[in-house]
Amino acid sequence: MTLPAMLLLPLLAAVLSAVPRMRFVAPGVTVVSSVAVLSLASATALRVASGTTVFALRGVLSVDGLSALIVWLVSLVGTTAAVYSSGYMARTCAARPRRLGLYYANYNLFVFAMLAIPMVVEPTLVWIFVELTTLSSALLVSFENTQEALEAAWKYVGLSLMGAAIALLGFLVLFSALQAAGGEPYTWEGLVKAAPRMPPALLKAAFVLIIVGLGTKVGLVPLHTWLPDAHSQAPSPVCALLSGIETTSVLYVILRLLPMLDAALLPEMRDWVVIFGLISVGVAAFLILQVRDYKRLFAFSTVEHMGIILVAAGLASQAAHYGAMYQILSHTVTKSFCFFAAGAAVLTVTTRNIAAVRGLVRRSPAAAASLLLAGLAIAGAPPLAVFLSEFLILKAGIYEGRYVVVGLLTLFIAIAFFGVLLHINRMVFGRPSSETFQAQALGSHATAAAISDTLPRSCELILLVAGALVIVLGVYLPGPLHELLRLASDTLHR
Amino acid sequence: MLYRILANVLQVLVILLLSPLVTGVLNRLKEIVQSKRGPSIFQPYRDLWKLFHKDQVLSERSSWIFRVTPYIVFVTPIFVALLIPVLTAHPLFLAFMADMVGVGFVLALGGFFAALGAVDTGNPYGPMGASRTRMVGFLAEPVFVIVFFTVSFVAGSTIPYIVQKHWIASPAAFLEPAHVLLLAAFFMLILAEAGRIPVDSASGHFELAMIEESKSLEYSGSGAALMKWGGHMKLLVLMCVFLNVLVTPWGLAVEQRATQVLLAIPLVAVKVLLFVLALVIIESSLAKLRLFRISEFLGAAFITCVAAMIARLFTA
Amino acid sequence: MADPPLTAALASLNALAGGLFLLTAFAIVATRQTRGCLQLFIVQSLLLAASAFILGAEYQSLHLVAVGAVNLISKPIVIPWILRRTLSAEVYARREIDQVLNIPTSLLIALALAVLAYFLTLPVLSAVAPQFRSANVPIGLAGLLLGAYTLAVRREAVPMLVGILAMENGAFFAGIALSRDLPLIVELAIASDGLVLVFVTGVLVRAIQQRIGSTRVGELVSLREQVPGAGATSTEEAA
Repeated sequence: MTLPAMLLLPLLAAVLSAVPRMRFVAPGVTVVSSVAVLSLASATALRVASGTTVFALRGVLSVDGLSALIVWLVSLVGTTAAVYSSGYMARTCAARPRRLGLYYANYNLFVFAMLAIPMVVEPTLVWIFVELTTLSSALLVSFENTQEALEAAWKYVGLSLMGAAIALLGFLVLFSALQAAGGEPYTWEGLVKAAPRMPPALLKAAFVLIIVGLGTKVGLVPLHTWLPDAHSQAPSPVCALLSGIETTSVLYVILRLLPMLDAALLPEMRDWVVIFGLISVGVAAFLILQVRDYKRLFAFSTVEHMGIILVAAGLASQAAHYGAMYQILSHTVTKSFCFFAAGAAVLTVTTRNIAAVRGLVRRSPAAAASLLLAGLAIAGAPPLAVFLSEFLILKAGIYEGRYVVVGLLTLFIAIAFFGVLLHINRMVFGRPSSETFQAQALGSHATAAAISDTLPRSCELILLVAGALVIVLGVYLPGPLHELLRLASDTLHR
Repeated sequence: MLYRILANVLQVLVILLLSPLVTGVLNRLKEIVQSKRGPSIFQPYRDLWKLFHKDQVLSERSSWIFRVTPYIVFVTPIFVALLIPVLTAHPLFLAFMADMVGVGFVLALGGFFAALGAVDTGNPYGPMGASRTRMVGFLAEPVFVIVFFTVSFVAGSTIPYIVQKHWIASPAAFLEPAHVLLLAAFFMLILAEAGRIPVDSASGHFELAMIEESKSLEYSGSGAALMKWGGHMKLLVLMCVFLNVLVTPWGLAVEQRATQVLLAIPLVAVKVLLFVLALVIIESSLAKLRLFRISEFLGAAFITCVAAMIARLFTA
Repeated sequence: MADPPLTAALASLNALAGGLFLLTAFAIVATRQTRGCLQLFIVQSLLLAASAFILGAEYQSLHLVAVGAVNLISKPIVIPWILRRTLSAEVYARREIDQVLNIPTSLLIALALAVLAYFLTLPVLSAVAPQFRSANVPIGLAGLLLGAYTLAVRREAVPMLVGILAMENGAFFAGIALSRDLPLIVELAIASDGLVLVFVTGVLVRAIQQRIGSTRVGELVSLREQVPGAGATSTEEAA
């Protein structure tokens, strides 16, 4: 009953928020449902970590190690972003309260779709939910209704739907490969079991189509052009969801295909995965050097980290896969915190331009401190979580003997580290420029009252909680969580 | 022996004598669709008779090309009539002299001389029309070539009589995607070659917009009559190729009997009438394309016949 | 399996539907009018349903007939209705004067893509059992590639949307030949997902129309990194 309940709660919250008269309780309803989902997800994760597979409908809804991890991460970010939204959106949407209902309805639908992706085990249904994430977040990305936001939303929708159509063909080819191989059911498990008997040409074709199609949605180069735009023009809590967990959920779908390749004895395809990952990391690292907008900075960093996860998953050793899972965990927690910090900065100075924001520490110490911590964390500074996971991956690569891969990866990570810290340093320290006081207003909803130095209570609370989580995860990994990560990495190399 | 001579002569006579009627019916129907009364369907005959009884005026500056062109334009469709199935489904006397590519070349010969004749006089409108016709012609060349190539690829030959037998064999062969797409492409080609809407307005009088008509502006008397008649015959010949070979390869005389051949004449007339109806509908509902859009029109025809070939490759 | 002459005729009809499908995919790349684009999409969906029916008759599969029926209802009927409700009427009167490349060049590149699709599907076709080999797979992939090409080469919003829908049509066209026994519930879900797609995109286009005054989304290119040294100006404009 847990799994259907986890899916029904956000749906219910979405329906309630959509009703016009209920829009004032929409933030509360969303927070309540998110907290409930988080507790259910934590319980499920604990059960999975202790060794049982949780299923509701065998063959339709089922959760194993990797799924449980993603479900728990979705619910975590969903909750923190919901609480953050209640303060942030109230501040920015003060002039147009009617749109809040729309925001929360789409928000809950978005969370519902992201929860369903890891829970459902039939690939075509998973594809449908991936499309649903695109559609529900489209109106969230364009929420601020400026020309740039609409442009970003259009690029997002256009490219994501194009990738989804390509992936659809990939899933249909996969189904026909399954049929050619015998009578297994069309689930992730069934596919892995039938993989040795599948015609290799079909499996390869399906894999290429799916990785190109879903790679568009993950943000793999060269189909990443929508990502910096969409992930910077959306309101900050939505960016946290998009960058923090949505790209990861779609990457999860790609990761589900990897054990099939091993079972079908096509190890050379893993090399292609590593190459794709390396290209993404490299291009993102160089692009980070020349951003002008700090939310775009974090968005490019998402591309980089997706690449790192893909490289780690493409390597063959168990340690590398554990590193990949740890990287997923650390990236989600850290990136959502990054966007919360960015949102705080936006509320304080109302501009996203790096060059115009200087001396933030004098304007709002809370925003400055969180932004500094976020920058350090996402760049990979020790002793924070991302450093640990990247270190694990590099170590595993060296043990495996893939020196070229590890060398390139280290180089790109170093370039990105340098870039992120350069920009963050300029923003946080330095003399405040007089331009910030005359900075252009943010969208049509911000009024003069928005330019204040105090953040909403809920935003401060979330900054504290998320920041604490980022610091804690760098030094301590709870036992069940470690067990969950280990189980998750097992699914990558059956 | 007698039969074969008779059939050949009958074929040529049908093309020769019925072509002005076809144009007359076309013009009358167009006017009726536009809620007007229109001229009598025999008006083209009267025009030809009138023109033959007038004097010719020839420019001193023109050369022998100008004098020879009307005869060439008149003779080439007659020559083509000997090569294509008009009334009979079995090849006649001279049917193997040339295949469909040859038909295309012969018709092009007439067009070539018409274009040269138009340039010959020094009238400004003549060369303008001639150059535009050449533009349409060279854009239509790839379409012609691909159509013939696909037809020969599918039917195994380029002789019209043999191609016709292929389509008549079974409904499956008739409904082949290559066939249907070829029909569309060839139809667009006919519209371009015969100078009908949307490529050119056949009944327009504005010289600056003419493509086909301006080539025959300078002729008078019997020269003009021969040019006009040649134009009517060219349209009927193209129709016969389209209808009898590609679209409706039925209704032609199968056995070598005179009665069957005579019976084929009204059947072919019915087919031509249906085609004329389709043509009238198109002419009345579309507008003439701008000159630079003609390349897109013929590009679409090109894509259609290449799609026909691709579809054939995919299904083979 | 039906008896051989009927099978041959059905195979021929299916190939005809495929050839016309390919033609509509080309036409969607080249059409200028927005309304024409939508009508071509409707024709393409009808051809997809027809192919599903023909394959269902050929292999006596009720499931394929059901797929055809689902497509027949959702795409030619419901999707235009949704678009009419979400888009404002003046979007239908739009003509696209130019594309990124001129139309004959576009068509030639589209032709190259279709031939490429044929060569890409050769290894797949040789790997499947003989009864699954048909014209559907290469034509479907060609439809997919041509839809993606439409998205790249067009500037107006509605033709881009039609391009996305044409891509799905192409994926489906290949799918009905390859994966014949996909559960019906999945097909229904994919169809309804298509409807939600159209709805959301329609709302987005309407928002763009209201904000910018036109739907030439191809010209919205303001979001990019600025050239260094252009000064410390902010990258976003005021509302």
